[in-house]
Amino acid sequence: MSTPAAGQLQSQTFLQRHGVTICLVAVALFFFLVAINTPNYLSWFNIKTIVRDAALVGIMGIGLTFVTLSGNFFLLSMKETAALSIIAFAIAMSNDFGFVLSFGFAMGIALAAGALQGCLIGLGGNPIVVTLGAAGILYGVASWWSDNLVVPIRRPNDAEWLGTGSVLGVPNITILFVFLAVFAEWVLRKTSFGRQVYLIGANRAAGRATGHENFRMAIIVCMIASACCALVAIAFAAQMSSAQANYFSSEFGSSGDFTILVIATVMVAGNSIMGGYGSTLRTSLGAVFISAVDNLMVLQGFNSGPRVLSVGIMIVGSILLFAYLRRGARTEG
Amino acid sequence: MNLKKIISRDPDLTFAIVLAVLVYGLFAVTNPLFFTMNTGFAIMERFAVLGLVGLALTLCIIAGEIDLSIGSNAALTAVIVVRLTDVLGAPNAILIGVVCATLIGAIQGYLIAYLKVRAIVLTVGTLMLLRGVALFAADERTVMLTDFTVPDFIQTKVFFLFSPASIAVLVLFVLVGLFMRYTHYGREIYAIGGARKEAVASGVNLARPMVIVFALSGFCAGIGGAIIGMRSGTAQPLGLQYLLLAATVAAFIGGVSINGGKGGVFGAFIGVLTVNFLNTGLVFNVTPAYVVQIYLGILLLTVILFQTGSSMLERRKLRQLMLDDTDATRVSLIREFSPKTKTEGI
Repeated sequence: MSTPAAGQLQSQTFLQRHGVTICLVAVALFFFLVAINTPNYLSWFNIKTIVRDAALVGIMGIGLTFVTLSGNFFLLSMKETAALSIIAFAIAMSNDFGFVLSFGFAMGIALAAGALQGCLIGLGGNPIVVTLGAAGILYGVASWWSDNLVVPIRRPNDAEWLGTGSVLGVPNITILFVFLAVFAEWVLRKTSFGRQVYLIGANRAAGRATGHENFRMAIIVCMIASACCALVAIAFAAQMSSAQANYFSSEFGSSGDFTILVIATVMVAGNSIMGGYGSTLRTSLGAVFISAVDNLMVLQGFNSGPRVLSVGIMIVGSILLFAYLRRGARTEG
Repeated sequence: MNLKKIISRDPDLTFAIVLAVLVYGLFAVTNPLFFTMNTGFAIMERFAVLGLVGLALTLCIIAGEIDLSIGSNAALTAVIVVRLTDVLGAPNAILIGVVCATLIGAIQGYLIAYLKVRAIVLTVGTLMLLRGVALFAADERTVMLTDFTVPDFIQTKVFFLFSPASIAVLVLFVLVGLFMRYTHYGREIYAIGGARKEAVASGVNLARPMVIVFALSGFCAGIGGAIIGMRSGTAQPLGLQYLLLAATVAAFIGGVSINGGKGGVFGAFIGVLTVNFLNTGLVFNVTPAYVVQIYLGILLLTVILFQTGSSMLERRKLRQLMLDDTDATRVSLIREFSPKTKTEGI
């Protein structure tokens, strides 16, 4: 709005240059002070709990990061894809398909849903509106398929190792999360596919000029995100030994809607929503950070209201901070 | 002849009206009970709930932005109004709730204009933030009224199809429609949606229409939330999430384009009516709520498919023109493409 004086376009104010550092130091200091004054917070057991809690949201966040990096904003159908997958998995498991077949069944449905949405987005549909509509359909199908009831999975079954098993005291789901975080980061940094994601996100016109259409990219990233949703759904079903369509909605968990939590994770980590800037490593750390703050507030005795509020403040705060820092550097309007 | 002129002047609106009549006709034919005054009253009561939220979203999309926090804003207002009614009386409570919602909208609009971010970026954050505030304000429970005189009053039938609630909503529709059409503030909102760069270049201060449109949409969402809270006498801090999908469907049936600058209040009216016909009709045929969602989702994707299809055809036609390559087409191409390359969506 306000036009900068000549030569001022590239220069930044002190706050813009050091804002991130100052904020990070302030947050870290405050966090540290509260943390050492909270009994049992910095114990090995609690840290394991924090990372395990972060794993489910984190895995979905890693998937969504691909969508965001490629400039397709985000999918509003994350939790609905997970809901459909969890129902598919539980129904297959309760019909004695075995773990591998059920896994493939749920994953296949999620991939198909992701591919269809990606197709619509790639054709030029707005990602938000397309996935909002798809969310209604996916959730409706999930509820209708299960008659909106809990689908139990008989115990013992061969999926329990994923939900409740552990290796050397570290839960399997945590191991999966760490593995995926490293793998996704490797894909983004070291493969040509990863570089294409960044290219299309940063400059769609340049991508098109060099033969990288968003059509193909949108389908691939939506399938990645949906596959991550299915993975989380399967792990969650294995943990609960049951499934219901609303397992990922706010009426089930106290800390709110899964879709919004996942988007929060991606945004708190400072990934650019317009695409081209960010990484899955940021997202993974963002998930751990949100989980750490949430855990701290639980130990301090806060109810769900202040906890949801604090996550909200974190998102809005990081959006405002990053938007302020990029103001002038790049207009997005 | 005259009819043809009307259709060609506004094909989206014609499509919306035809769709509304078709949906209503379908249910009226299959179920004789549907075509009665009482059902009409029920539809108008639903209209009072969904109408203002649909209108709020329509206004945002006209300005080229999308407000995801509308459901949260409505839920927060519902909580505030229901909580304060017992202490301060209904009029004061509604006033406070609506002022809060309007202020929230205005602040969002200012931040969007000042920081030059996209509205989805900010509103997905406020979606969660306002839920937190609502949970906080309601002490994490469902708040309830103790005195039900106001809920009884606003849903009594006073005039054929209408209750005080739906009359208030209709009056608001007319007022907002007049504002959008006949004031230059309203026209600025259309301008920043359809051609933002051109509008800013010709001297429109981006902050003013942005603040106005978000304040207006916050106001509409607030009144909508107040009516929802007062009608049922209860408010859930995490409720009203379904409103976003229904309102989006209504807005897109009403003829808005995701690129902004298109659509209007009358279109929103028709869109909301269509969604309500569908909703009420399906409930008549004892359809569970989650199946209604499937229908809404399919409806939304169909409309989007039509929109992207027509814009793709247009682009292909332009590409063909580019192959012919004359000076005249080059000029028209530049005019066509320059605003759209940057704003491929909201």
